[in-house]
Amino acid sequence: MTQQAMTSQRPMPEITPMTEPFWSAARRRELVVQRCDGCGTLRFPPEVACYACGSRRAAWTPVSGRATLYSWTAAPPPLLPYFADRAPWPVALVQLAEGPRMFTNLAGIAVEEYAIGMELQAGFEDIDGETTLVVFRRA
Amino acid sequence: MTDASMVRDRTAIAGIGTTEYVRNIGRSELETALDAIGLALDDAGLTAREVDGIFKIDTPGEESNSELEIARNLGVANLRAWGGAGYGGGAACAPVVLATMAVATGMASVAVAVRARNRGSGGRPWARTGARVPGLAAFEIPYGLVSPVQQLAILARRYMHEFGATSEDFARVSVVQRAHAGRNPRACFRDPITVDDVLNSRMIADPLHLLDCSLETDGACAVIVTSAERARDLRRPPVYISGIAQGMGPRHYMMNGLGYREDPFDMPPLYAARDVYAAAGMGPQDIDVALLYDVFSPMVLWQLEAYGFCRRGEAAGFVRDGRIAWPGGDLPVNTHGGSISEAYVHGFNHVLEGVRQLRGESTCQVEGADVALVAAAAVVPTSALILRR
Repeated sequence: MTQQAMTSQRPMPEITPMTEPFWSAARRRELVVQRCDGCGTLRFPPEVACYACGSRRAAWTPVSGRATLYSWTAAPPPLLPYFADRAPWPVALVQLAEGPRMFTNLAGIAVEEYAIGMELQAGFEDIDGETTLVVFRRA
Repeated sequence: MTDASMVRDRTAIAGIGTTEYVRNIGRSELETALDAIGLALDDAGLTAREVDGIFKIDTPGEESNSELEIARNLGVANLRAWGGAGYGGGAACAPVVLATMAVATGMASVAVAVRARNRGSGGRPWARTGARVPGLAAFEIPYGLVSPVQQLAILARRYMHEFGATSEDFARVSVVQRAHAGRNPRACFRDPITVDDVLNSRMIADPLHLLDCSLETDGACAVIVTSAERARDLRRPPVYISGIAQGMGPRHYMMNGLGYREDPFDMPPLYAARDVYAAAGMGPQDIDVALLYDVFSPMVLWQLEAYGFCRRGEAAGFVRDGRIAWPGGDLPVNTHGGSISEAYVHGFNHVLEGVRQLRGESTCQVEGADVALVAAAAVVPTSALILRR
C-alpha cells in the first residue's frame, strides 16, 4: 500500500544550482529563461555556456509567457504509474513568443481541442510544498 | 572530414554472426555476445586467439557487457584496442566505425564489433525513473514526457504538420518492411500486414500506433573487421568498408533536443550523410540498398530525406510510389524486415543485412547489389557506413 503510494508519485525535478532560478521564479509565478550576456541569445533549457557565442555569462530574464503550441502527443499506458493513472497523458511542446521552446502540459484544454499554432499563456501549478511546474492555458 | 585515403576500402567485414531473435532468450547478454562473436569468427574462418580489438556500444543501462569480460571469456591473448560509442540507436553503426578506425590505423588486426541486448526480457529503461529527476530530464519527465515513443511522436506530429505526411504514410513503411520479413526465417514477425492493420493497431503515443514501433527483442549480433588484404584470403568474400561517419550537428540534446532547436528536422543524419558519402567518394545515386534505422516508422522517412534519396518533405511520396519495396523499388529499404519486423538489436542487425546483400545472401536479394548504406538513429548522435562488394 505504502509502496504503491510511493511509486505512483509524480516524478519531480531535482533542483540544482543551474536550474534553481527557473524553479524559484515559477514558485513566484514568473517564467524566466537565460539571456546570454555576450550576444543576447535567449536560451532554454539552461546551459553553462551560450551555444551561439560561447559566453559563460548569462542572466535569468522574465519572458512574456505568451506561446503557441508547436506539437504534442498523448499516450496510454505503459507510462510511469502517476501518468498511467491519468492516461491518456498528453505532453505539449510550446514555442515562447521570444523564441525558445519548452515541454509542458496544457491546463484546461481537452486533447481533442489541441491544434498546432493555438495561442497559449503560461500558468503555474504548485505540485507540493517546494515544486511549481510551468503549464500553459488558452491565451 | 575523414581522410578518405586512410579509410576507403582499406578494411572489410570478414564475418558476421547472430543469435536467434526472440522475446526472452534465457541467457545473459555476455553469453549471447559470445555466441554471436563465435559465429562471426567461424564465418570468417578466424579464431578467438586472433582477436585483438573489441568495440561495442557504451550507453549506461543499455548493455551490461564490458570489453574485458568479453575478451576474458573469449580467451583473447592480448586486447590491443577497444572502446564504446554512446547514444543508443545512434550507435547502430558506431562500433563498426570504431573497429574500422582501429584496423585502418594498425591498432588492431582483427576487430570485433558487437551488440548484445536483452531488451525483450529486460524491461523498459525509463521504468527505472526515480522520484527526483536530474539534469535536462527535469524539464521533461515531471510533465510526463518519459519514453522514446512519446518523444518521437511529438516530432512525428510536427513533421505531419509541416510537410503534410499522414499516418498512412508512416504505416506504409511498416507494411513494406513486414512484406520483406515474410521471406526471412530469422524475423520475429512474418505475417503480412496492411495499412489498415497499422492504423487499427492500438495507439502507443498519438500519432504512432503499435505497428509503427520496433519490436522488443533479446539477441546479439557481431561482425569481424580486418584489413582488406587479409579479408581476401579468408573464408568468405570480403565486404569492403568504403565510408564511415558519425554526426551530431549543432546544439544536440538527444531526442528531445530536436524540439528545442530552431529547426527540429535539421537532424544528425544530414551531417553523417555528407561525411559518409565524401569518405566513400559516392552519393545517393550509388546506393543499391539502404538499411535505415527504424525504431519507429517516421524515422525511415527522415533518413530517406537526410541521405539525399529525395528532397526534404518528399519521403512520404517516395514510399507511396513503391520505391523502398523489394522487389520493384529502385531503393529497397530494410530487406530483412528491420527493427519493426526482424528484430530490435538497436539497429546492429541492419549492418548484418548490408553484408548479406553484398554477398548475395539476403532473403530479399537486390539483384546486382554492389553498394549498401547502413544508417543509425536519426534523432540522436548518429553513425553510418557505406559498404561495397
